[in-house]
Amino acid sequence: MHAVHSGMILPARLIRFVLPALLVILAALVLAALATGDMPLSPARVWAGLRREDSMAATIVWQMRLPRILSAILVGAALSSAGLVMQAYFRNSLANPGLLGVSSGGAAGAVIAIAAGWASVSLWFLPLAAIAGAVAATGGVLVLARHGASTERLLLAGVALNALLGAVTSYVLSQYIGLYERNAQILFWLLGGLEDRTWEHVGIALPIVAAAALLWPLGRSMDLMSLGVSEAQSLGVDVRRVRRQMLSLATVLTAVATAVAGAVGFVGLVVPHILRLLVGPEHRRLVPLSLVGGAVFVLACDIAGRLAGGLRLGIITSLIGAPFFLWLLRRLP
Amino acid sequence: MNSLDLIDATVPGRLGNVTVGLPRGKLVGLVGPNGAGKSTLLRVAAGLLPSEGTVAWNGRPLSGIPSLERARCTAWVPQEAHFEFGFSVRSVVAQGRYAHGDDESGVDETLARFGLSALAGRPVNRISGGERARVLLARAIVTEAPLQLWDEPLAPLDPRHRLEVLVLARELAQSGSTVFLSLHDLSLASSLDLLAVLCATRLRALGSPADILTPNLLLDVFGVRASATPSLNLELP
Amino acid sequence: MKIKTLCRPDGRLLCPIAQATGGFLACLLLWVAQAAAAPPGAQPAIRVVSQTVGTDELLLALAEPGQIAALSHLGRDPDYCAAAGEARSYPSLASNGDAESVLKFNPTLVLCADYTRAEMVAQLRRAGARVVIFDHYFTLADSYANLRMLSRELGCEKRAERIIGECEKRVAALDSRLRRVRLARVIAPSTFGMIPGSQSTFQDLCDHAGAENLACTLGHIVGHGPQPSEAMLNWPVDCVVVAGADLGSALAPFRDLPPYEFMPAVKSGRAVLLPPAQLSCVSHLRVDGYEILAKALHPEAFN
Repeated sequence: MHAVHSGMILPARLIRFVLPALLVILAALVLAALATGDMPLSPARVWAGLRREDSMAATIVWQMRLPRILSAILVGAALSSAGLVMQAYFRNSLANPGLLGVSSGGAAGAVIAIAAGWASVSLWFLPLAAIAGAVAATGGVLVLARHGASTERLLLAGVALNALLGAVTSYVLSQYIGLYERNAQILFWLLGGLEDRTWEHVGIALPIVAAAALLWPLGRSMDLMSLGVSEAQSLGVDVRRVRRQMLSLATVLTAVATAVAGAVGFVGLVVPHILRLLVGPEHRRLVPLSLVGGAVFVLACDIAGRLAGGLRLGIITSLIGAPFFLWLLRRLP
Repeated sequence: MNSLDLIDATVPGRLGNVTVGLPRGKLVGLVGPNGAGKSTLLRVAAGLLPSEGTVAWNGRPLSGIPSLERARCTAWVPQEAHFEFGFSVRSVVAQGRYAHGDDESGVDETLARFGLSALAGRPVNRISGGERARVLLARAIVTEAPLQLWDEPLAPLDPRHRLEVLVLARELAQSGSTVFLSLHDLSLASSLDLLAVLCATRLRALGSPADILTPNLLLDVFGVRASATPSLNLELP
Repeated sequence: MKIKTLCRPDGRLLCPIAQATGGFLACLLLWVAQAAAAPPGAQPAIRVVSQTVGTDELLLALAEPGQIAALSHLGRDPDYCAAAGEARSYPSLASNGDAESVLKFNPTLVLCADYTRAEMVAQLRRAGARVVIFDHYFTLADSYANLRMLSRELGCEKRAERIIGECEKRVAALDSRLRRVRLARVIAPSTFGMIPGSQSTFQDLCDHAGAENLACTLGHIVGHGPQPSEAMLNWPVDCVVVAGADLGSALAPFRDLPPYEFMPAVKSGRAVLLPPAQLSCVSHLRVDGYEILAKALHPEAFN
């Protein structure tokens, strides 16, 4: 394993302004997202809609734009913080939430639900099938790796499971290939996106809030866990308990985010990495920053995708994330 | 009461029935050929590797001590440390205070003692191997743990810093702590209070260096012949 | 809070917004006044948005021009829609739309299929639009049922019955012409390895045009399935059915593609041409396809 050179880009006195700055940007993005949509609504109508004075605008704003905005915030926070946890857990800054097969399990569950037609029956079935798939995948990884096994074992089990679940998805796609529309829906979902998110989806995403609250106090332990299991234990961390907590929180965050928004990639890899480059590796700082930074990133990508003519979230996160990341790396000494 | 007691500590394939008791206030060396099990022994003593047999600190069996308290009793320095993330030198050393509620007392003094004050803000994965070894030692010192277990701490250090570390270890021993360190340099080993010799996963001998480092043992355990030539004695000015 | 600041005419940037909003409100007032002066008893206008090509064709056949608010994003594409020419005079939906992109046309009725995303259907209903879902569309009887269903929504049942009557007459006439012909043995080749068998729109075409779909009878393929490349070479294919602008360009891709390049029918150019939209047509317009295919396969029955 090599250490990615991580020098801080921001001088120490500016670091404390990063979180307030991100919060301000998030507020601005929320306003921009309220005003963005296929239905042309002027800011006055949006305001009237918020106050429920204009019934069509109220429906659009309250039933469509607000749930989408909240879903974006929760999904972004979840994927980003799950990525942070995985990077600390596996002691590798290139780790991402999908390593242990959670997101491909969610994808397999969702794909099966779409192909079998359950997804058309009610809008609950698709996210719940994705969660079922994600939970089954995590269970599978733990069984394959045997409880309490080393990180190397877990990683390899995750690789195997990702391959297996990818095969399941491909199989379903090929079996139902005659149903072109269903296949289109499957591919649509696999790209990850936030179209037509409802308050039900926001409800499904609420565990993210609980998981984030549980993650907050783990920051210091994550610092030490990133040194290695023995080192952390010798310094006083209850490693078995903390590893269990980290793994289950990362799983819940990733599973729920995948259930709500499909397979959105890149957020969990890039956002914590960029934040670490900006403010350093202290996890007590990085946990809240990842939550807000992830929300900012996903909401911004969603708005950008809509302004660019309906590009899906998963495409935008990759198109924006990759060049920005390369630019950031070039600036390092 | 011994600060460390290992009774029949066994790790299959790596450590065989080691029974050793280290009294308080001693500077103890652990020597042995490569693969003898020195790192394993230190890990078992630190409670990081489960073993058959018993491990006890100050008479208390390990299993009864909760994790935070363990960290206050014992400090362990690994042979190699890989830092994936660039924590600053100062924050790495401050990690030793985790078991003390993350207060930062003693951190700056220890940095100064190890000559690391100038490097305090540098990311730990951008310093040399020897500097990193001193950071790990500083972190162990900062824990104020009475039982110090160091795995080959001197190997990456230059001659001056080796002597400084031994002087520091001697001070710790004199103030009542026990320092148990593994090393390869037998001439340095001869300046320690006690020496434990491990060979092929078993404890061969435990006693003062003068008694233990006999020509027979050296030939048998290390496969080297010792001759009494005037040796290079290094000292701090 | 920031929202309040946007609405107060504060600062230079916000004045144009205030002016635009004021102007908009004035126009709105004028329009409301006009609408209030409208004759009493005016029918609430029906505005329909169609989300799929199949429902586009139904809507174009049944609805008044003023009732059509928007058609699907493929409605204007002759490769998919049998009424593409007509569809051009109406707005079309964006391809990656969400509920808002449908609602901006102010529909009272939205036509969807059973594969439309459940979230979108829910959102449209929550916005107050009536959503009708079409989930049976494979057979001709299904097409008639769909016509009747839509006509009930639009209040033009008579028009639907007229269309159905005409279709039935044409189908009956076709049946009587084809009564004594030998069934032509055909397949519908594809460039991506899947051919239509039984329970497909192609099968329905064959059933009404005097053709035997070998993919069904010999290949036992149900729906769209992988083509049995080797076995197909032994099939006694009289004729391949291809879709495109003209026969030459439609057949060309298969002349270099295994296994078709080895088929006698392809090598000697025994092919009939269908308009592309007819290969997947699920509305009553498929009757045009029956007639085209029947005439191409059995010209002797039409002299």
